Amino acid sequence: MPMLREGLLAATSLLLGMIPFGIVAGVAMVSAGLTQAQAVAMGVLVFAGSAQLAVVPLFIAKAPLWVMYATALVVNLRYLIYSAVLAPYFGHLPRTWRALLSYITVDGMFALFVGRFAVDEHKRHRHWYYFGGSLLLWLGWQISSWVGIFVGALIPKSWSLEFASTVSLIAILMPLFYDRAVVAGALAAGGVALLAARWPLNLGLLAAVAVGVAAGLAVSRFAPPARKA
Amino acid sequence: MAGESWYGWLLVAGASLVVFFTRAAFILPGSRLRLPPTAERILRYAPAAALMAIIAPDVATAHGALAISLDNPRLIGGLVAFAIAAATRSVTLTIVGGMAALTLVRLFLT
Repeated sequence: MPMLREGLLAATSLLLGMIPFGIVAGVAMVSAGLTQAQAVAMGVLVFAGSAQLAVVPLFIAKAPLWVMYATALVVNLRYLIYSAVLAPYFGHLPRTWRALLSYITVDGMFALFVGRFAVDEHKRHRHWYYFGGSLLLWLGWQISSWVGIFVGALIPKSWSLEFASTVSLIAILMPLFYDRAVVAGALAAGGVALLAARWPLNLGLLAAVAVGVAAGLAVSRFAPPARKA
Repeated sequence: MAGESWYGWLLVAGASLVVFFTRAAFILPGSRLRLPPTAERILRYAPAAALMAIIAPDVATAHGALAISLDNPRLIGGLVAFAIAAATRSVTLTIVGGMAALTLVRLFLT
């Protein structure tokens, strides 16, 4: 299958950037108190770096489950955009394929795929390109997570390795700062989160997201976004 | 640890369902709906807001109270990580630099 091979080759460029996140996610999950089995299951079933890393500080703080679910949802809202963009590409495929391609979607492969094919360009096997590249990234994520899970279990708690999840969230956040509205929204959210740190049930987190989105919308209204990426 | 294991498993189960939903919402039903621009903007602002809302308290509070001082290892580690991420955009340098700053403060200032 030439398409499968092409996708695999294209994805190798993304592999290196994903490895540190995988290792850190593995280390952070076990340092936070998840068992090794839970951490492996999380990598396989959730398979989303930002969501996995974002729930770690909440898990340590023993946040209610629904707060962690809501956080995983909000952090991954970008996938709704990807899903809407990809739907017409994969609409002709059987249901099992559509479920598989949904599950395996990640940022980098989405960008490569949409850049490589136009929606109305009818290449019959283009889903193999997407699947091949995504599969490579899936394997890279699992293996690097296992390394982190294995290493994390050996390192003493006093090293505060779970803080690596917060540091990685900073690395994930920075490339999102491509326009003023996003920055304004994030700063507003950070401020509210600090002020509301004592609120029960992590309601401060939800209030912070609401205020942050409102601030972002307000700024985009007065200063239209300068598109770069 | 064993008494809490249901908490971890429920986290894994719920988070995987929620995340799958965001990926499958349009692909699985084969929808041709296009997102209105405002909805798309909200979907862009919310993740950055949520990430910052998780990072800020983790870095700048201790036991629910603001902890803005030089001997808070997390604050220094977080600030160093922000600076490196802004300057280099390198994930590895950000993680290594942030953790190194945290460790140095923890060992020598606290």
